[in-house]
Amino acid sequence: MNGTKYADAVGAVRAMENTLLGKSDIEQLINARSKSEVKSIFSSRTGNQLADLNDVWNFLCEYAPDCEELKILLYRNDFHNLKAVLKAIISNRDPEQYYIAPSNIGLSELTDAVSKKEYDLLPKYMQKTALEAYELLTKTLDGQLSDSFIDRSALEAVQKSSEECGIEFMKKYAQLITACSDIKTAYRCCILGKSAQFMENAVCGSPEIEKDELIKSALAGTEQLFTYLETTHYSEAAALLKESSAKYEKWCDDVIMELAEDARMLAFGSEPLAAYFIAKEAEIKNLRILSVCKEFGADKETITERMRKLYV
Amino acid sequence: MTNGLVLAIIGAALAALLAGIGSAKGVSLVGEAASGVVSVDPSKFSKVLLLELLPGTQGLYGLIAAMFILLRTGVLGSGAADLTVQQGLGFLAASLPIAVVGLISGIMQGRTAAAGVSITAKKPDHNGKAIIMAAMVETYAILALLISVLMILNINV
Repeated sequence: MNGTKYADAVGAVRAMENTLLGKSDIEQLINARSKSEVKSIFSSRTGNQLADLNDVWNFLCEYAPDCEELKILLYRNDFHNLKAVLKAIISNRDPEQYYIAPSNIGLSELTDAVSKKEYDLLPKYMQKTALEAYELLTKTLDGQLSDSFIDRSALEAVQKSSEECGIEFMKKYAQLITACSDIKTAYRCCILGKSAQFMENAVCGSPEIEKDELIKSALAGTEQLFTYLETTHYSEAAALLKESSAKYEKWCDDVIMELAEDARMLAFGSEPLAAYFIAKEAEIKNLRILSVCKEFGADKETITERMRKLYV
Repeated sequence: MTNGLVLAIIGAALAALLAGIGSAKGVSLVGEAASGVVSVDPSKFSKVLLLELLPGTQGLYGLIAAMFILLRTGVLGSGAADLTVQQGLGFLAASLPIAVVGLISGIMQGRTAAAGVSITAKKPDHNGKAIIMAAMVETYAILALLISVLMILNINV
């Protein structure tokens, strides 16, 4: 009876999916004249139900019998918060403004654990990274180096946990976010002329994008990097990255949405819940892009181009 | 009470028990899925209720088969017959189709109906399709009941 323990949660999620924005809603929002009109259209369409990701997460956890499998979706937020807390401790600042919610560990617990060096208070997948990142940052005072180390560790943690949970959806999710992130990192390192050692520290690697090959090609220059990427499943992404980073970012978000779309056909298991979370994430991102575009008076074509793929 | 009669009663008990378990599991699964939908959108209660009822029929079929056995053997009514072991085994075997198929189809119909709850949640107008898909599973429970009843009625007592 695989996944039937999520029957209640899947039912609730399916009912909530009706409040997700559709194509015609997005068109209406694009045609809105101002940021405030975007807000009012969104409120009238969705009734402001689950308007922020924190509410979405709480909703999923309320219904899901076990949130463990879904926690993987928040790993990147956890590690981002770790970066914020580490830098805040070193520079004696308040990390709150950099804190991203939802996360698996609250800001005060994270700050306490890192400042008191009680790393065992952190989730298991963060303990070693927190210790090593703290040492790296205090020793080198190189924020970029410590950030790239934490980013790589986040991807490794996502990969490890997705393998352990054994859910195909999560494994594919881990592969996609790792590959997307690695390609972006390698491209940036290539442009900035970073050393092999830096890349070794920053690139995670996955079965689809081999770490050594990626680093080798990035060290040889952008042309070599794109030539290598053309031989992988990510040739389309490479072509877009050549054009612009914004197009590449959109491709990465869309490919994750395509993965979520596959879960739309499933009636049981945690996959529909994860897919709904990803769908809400994309919806919120779309609203943010819309608001910014409206604020800066971008034309409709530019906004349409930047809109992420929708779940419904 | 003869050994034959004991075997026949075991048959009746199995028919009611296994088919009942299948129904209980199926109904509870659909009930969980339906609760999730209703908690978010209470207006869909009547639509999901139809789906929840579907896996409940197997238990009813098991009850019918059990009643037939009890009536044929005289446990209910005129007085229990002195059944031979062969006759008792005959009733026991006759109960198996609805007992086993009732158990499995009840659970499977529950899965199909629970999946159908998702259709109702997202597209309430297509509720009929979800019901048809879940009702398809019912066919096999009806066939099993038919065979069980035919066997029960044709055992010489």
